[in-house]
This record gives sequence, C-alpha cells and structure tokens, in this order.
Amino acid sequence: MKKNLILVLVLLLVTTSLAGCKSADSGKIRIAIAGPLTGDFAEYGTGFKNAVEMIAKEYNADGGVLGKEIEIVSYDDKNSGEEAASIAERIASDNSIVGVVGHFASGVCMAASPTYQEVGIVEISPSASHPDYSSEGDFIFRNNSLINVEAKETLTIASEVFDAKRVAILSVKTDWGTSTADILMNKLSKDFPNIEIVAHEEIVDGTVDFSPTVTALNAQNPDTIIVCAMYNILGPFASQYKDINPEINLVGFSNAYSEQLIELAKEDAEGIALPAIFFHNSTEPKVANFVSSYEEAYGSVPSSLTAQAYDSMGMIIEAIKASNATDRTKIKEALYDLKYEGVSGLTQFDSNGDALKTFNWLIIKDGQFVEYN
Amino acid sequence: MISQLIFDGLTLGMVYALVAVGYSLVFGILRLVNFSHGSVYAFGAHIAMVVVVTMGYGLIWGLCASIIVTGLLGVAIDKISLEPLRKKKSKQISALITTIGISYIIQNSLMIIFGSESKWFPKIFDLGIIKIGSVSLKSTQVGIFLTSLALLLILSYVIHYTKIGLAMRAIEQNSKAASLMGIDVNQVVSFTFFLGGASAAIAGTLISGYYQVINPQMGFIVGLKAFSAAVLGGIGILHGAVVGGVLVGLSESFAANYLGGGYRDAIAFLILIIVLILKPTGLFGKKHIEKV
Repeated sequence: MKKNLILVLVLLLVTTSLAGCKSADSGKIRIAIAGPLTGDFAEYGTGFKNAVEMIAKEYNADGGVLGKEIEIVSYDDKNSGEEAASIAERIASDNSIVGVVGHFASGVCMAASPTYQEVGIVEISPSASHPDYSSEGDFIFRNNSLINVEAKETLTIASEVFDAKRVAILSVKTDWGTSTADILMNKLSKDFPNIEIVAHEEIVDGTVDFSPTVTALNAQNPDTIIVCAMYNILGPFASQYKDINPEINLVGFSNAYSEQLIELAKEDAEGIALPAIFFHNSTEPKVANFVSSYEEAYGSVPSSLTAQAYDSMGMIIEAIKASNATDRTKIKEALYDLKYEGVSGLTQFDSNGDALKTFNWLIIKDGQFVEYN
Repeated sequence: MISQLIFDGLTLGMVYALVAVGYSLVFGILRLVNFSHGSVYAFGAHIAMVVVVTMGYGLIWGLCASIIVTGLLGVAIDKISLEPLRKKKSKQISALITTIGISYIIQNSLMIIFGSESKWFPKIFDLGIIKIGSVSLKSTQVGIFLTSLALLLILSYVIHYTKIGLAMRAIEQNSKAASLMGIDVNQVVSFTFFLGGASAAIAGTLISGYYQVINPQMGFIVGLKAFSAAVLGGIGILHGAVVGGVLVGLSESFAANYLGGGYRDAIAFLILIIVLILKPTGLFGKKHIEKV
C-alpha cells in the first residue's frame, strides 16, 4: 500500500515537472499579458489585453517578427497579489514565453516581479508607478511615469488651473494611494508655497458611502481636492461631494482617466482635471489611427493605460527585432537601447527600467475629456 | 460637525435597519439565519437599475418592480431550496449552508449578467440641500430616512395588527401548535420571505440612489453589517433590528470621521462583540427557555 502510494507520488512529480518543458521553438513567438480581466478593475485589464492583441495582430498581418507569428497568452490575476505570484510562476516555468506585459496595480506587480527577475524574463508594466517597483532588478520595466512625477503634475494643475490655496487630499488605502498621498504632503508641498494642505482622509477601496469622509474634508473648507484613487472612487466621490459643496475643484490622477469616470459621475464629473500621458482626442495621426482602429475593434475608446499597454507590447516586439533573437536576456538588453516612438509619446528606459514621460492636462467639459491649454 | 455626523449615521442606520428586519423576520419564524439576504439586497438594486436606467421608466416604477420581483425571489428561495429541507426534517446547519450557497449563486449570476464593475444609478429624492446652521441635510437623505421610517412602521403594523401577522407570531412561538390550530405554516413562511425580499429591495434601491453607484458585490458587506445589527438588537425582534441598525450606522459614521476611513467597517463588529459579551441575547433579546 505504502509502496504504491510512493510510486504514484513519484509519477506525479515526474509528469508535472515534465509538463513545464514545452519546446521553445514552436514556430510562434509567445508573449504573456497578465492583468485583472474580472473584478472591479476588469476595465483596465481588458484594455491591456485588447491593446496587446491588437498590436500583435498588426505585426502578424505584416508577416510577424523574425518571420514568426506572435501569439498572446493571457492570464487573469484579478488584481490580487496571490494570483499574480502564482501566474508569475506559471509564466516563468513556460520556456516558450519570451516576455510579459502586465500586472496592473503596483502592489500586485511587486508580488510577481521577484519571480520574473529570478528566472530572467522581461516584465513591462504599463501601469505600475510605485518608486520601488523597477528597483527589483534589471528585467523589470515600466512604461508609466513614477508617482512623484505625476503627483507634482497634480499639484501644478491645482495651482495653475484652479488657483488653489487650500488643498485637501483623499487617498485610497493601497500601496499606491498611501505613498502618493505621502509624497504629496511631505515631499512636494514645499515646492508650492501658495498651497496649503489642509486635510487628508483615507478610504478603503470599494467604499461607496463617502458621507463621513465628505463631512470631515468639508469641515476644513478646502477649495481643491486631489483624489489619489481610480475612477471607481473618484466618480461617486465627486457626486457625493458636489451634493454638499458644488464649488469644489477636483484633481485626479491619470489612472482615473477613463470613460467610466464620466459614466459614473455624469454631470458631477464636469470640471474634474487630471494629468495624462495619452489623450484619445489628440490630432496626431499616429494616435488618431490607434484610437480609431481600437474603437472599431472593441467598441470603446482606449484609456491612457491601454495606450501604454499597446506601446509596452510594441517595445517588446521591437526589442525582439533589434536583438534578432527570442532569447529572454537579449530582449532585455535590447530594451535598454530602444528609442520607441509610440502612441503614448517617445519612450526610452533609463538604467532603472523607468520610462520618462510627458504629460497633457485634461479637463472634463460638457461630458467629454478635452485638453487644457 | 457632530450633528452632521449624527444625521449621516441615522440615514445609513435606517437603511441597515431595513435590511436587518429581513434577517430578523426569517429568524423569528424559522430560527434560521438567512445568509442569502445580502445578495437579495443587491438583486433588488439591480432590478431597479434595469427598470430605471436601461428601460427608462421612473424611479417609482423601478421601486415597485423591484419590490415585486425581489419579493418573489425571496419566496422562490424558500420554495426551491429551504422548504424541501424542512420537509425532510434535515438539520438546521444544512439550511444555513444552503442560504450561503444561494447567496453566491445570486451574486455570481448578477456578475455574469451585469458585469462586475460599478455602474451609475440615478439620484433619488433630489431636491437640493437644506441648511440648518452648520448642518447640511441632503434631500436624498431626508427622503431615505422618512421612507425607511414609514416602511418600518408599516411592517410593524403588519406584524402586530393583521391576521397574517398574528399567524407569524404564532409560528414564532410554536410552529407545531400553530399548524394544529389550522395555520398554513408554509404559506406564512413564504409570506415572510416575501416581506424580507421586499424590504431588502427597497433598501437596495434607496442606497443605490443615495450613493449613485451599484455593483453585484454591494450586498456582501451591507449584509454582514445588517446581520450584526439584527444580532445587536436581539435577533428575531423587530424593534431590536431597527435600534441595532441605527447604532451600527451611527458608529460607522463616527468611526470614519474620528478614527479614519479604514476603521469604519471594523467598528460595527467591535460593538457587536462587546454587546454580545455583556448581554448575549442582544439589547432587546429575551432568554429562550428550552422545555424538555
């Protein structure tokens, strides 16, 4: 009995370890995309997947890369660290995958990135903005700006667009939200002598009742509130705050830049301003082209992060082209030398694997995002 | 500021009370904690959304449709899954687990049909703000408060002064004796589930119209808090559920303000634990004497 059991266990061990050994040269170049495809952040993850599939299709129509077809493998991490870590293990052990676009939230990315670094596979996150993310190692890249760069933009918007004097901060209780609020209050506020930070409140993600938070913030009489949270918080918060004080100015972050924001807050979204790397109504032909073909394929307007996912994938493919190989390490080396003119502007990685980005200022007017000049 | 917090908390508390009443009604009659109640609440809100947002009818119609459909869902839950268990005289724990299962079935069906992301819901009772000193009362809040109060009064009238209410109370005391007296127990249980579903539907619609967002997971935490409100007031007792709901709402409002938003959910449960240690039957609970 015991012998049989041991035999079964050994067999199991052998078969599972063999299962990972797929041939690397299957005639296709396989690239993984990982992000939240279900749950509250599904909008972002689905955007990643759509964008990545779209650019792969475009390359495949031109005969692929290095004469091979590009194949996308998608993984749903539900924006959860545990899921992401196990997905990273699966991707890392699959030798046929040459690179990863993905993981959405900074905290989730950082749960997965140690695995990618250890086995040496390139990860480009289109969205992670936590300063510590890219310092995991040389295989870890981001095609997004760092928190402090973007946080400074929000303060500039507050002071230049709204002429703010008394600013309050609302932040979501996640790794990203807490560090952003901290940077705003402790590092950046002294660069803006006209602005006084009068209040800071935190909320748990998924909150729908903001009335106690609104009461607490409004008691300090701010003229502008910087909301470090995504559209699912900024939208209802705007509605509920404007009930009490319709005069308030709201500044968001680029990850709240989504059509869903206007859908959720309707007329209360009016006047919300935010910095964004990508603007979907831009007249630049490359961007306009991308937006129109994305709309045609998926029926919605791509968000900023979707555009960054599109470029992230583009960069991996160009790196494969430049290195003339599908070797994971060679792709990494090629990425550092790459200068990529994409839909989210010219991108070049510095030695940390961080991309340097320039911002547009967007403001919601008549139910639409428009560029602020 | 304090009066503002009290008012915010009262509004929230009245809605919790409406949901808590559903737990209490079913518990009173079946001695069963109906864990599917939170999902029924989310279901009610979604029915209202379909009628109001998708089909474009007024909120009143949305509310009526939601009350009827959700009430019937309550009846269906009982008829399909709980009544067979009662007939087989299976253990209480199987019924409890069944309600948890149903809760997930409803929630996941909502996710499949409507998607899991947050959606917009129109504001209700929108007539602007009434300012009294430093307190700004939103008309929405006043409307929600008054509607909930009226509904709770109607419910309490039904239970204490109507024939079916008498039957409900009779079953609560002793279901076997009630059935010997000619009361159709299963019919009364179905009616109770209808009342529970209807009150959850109203609560769901009011809360969605207040926050202007709706998603399939909205019932989970509200269900838990309303359950703790019901236990806090003494489960099975109607006015206990109302007091419990208001207490939970107030504690949440104050906790969010003075301790920070991170503690708002925890504080309701903390109070629950303290009350249960000091008075295990809840604030208004009576001791049940088991006769052998």
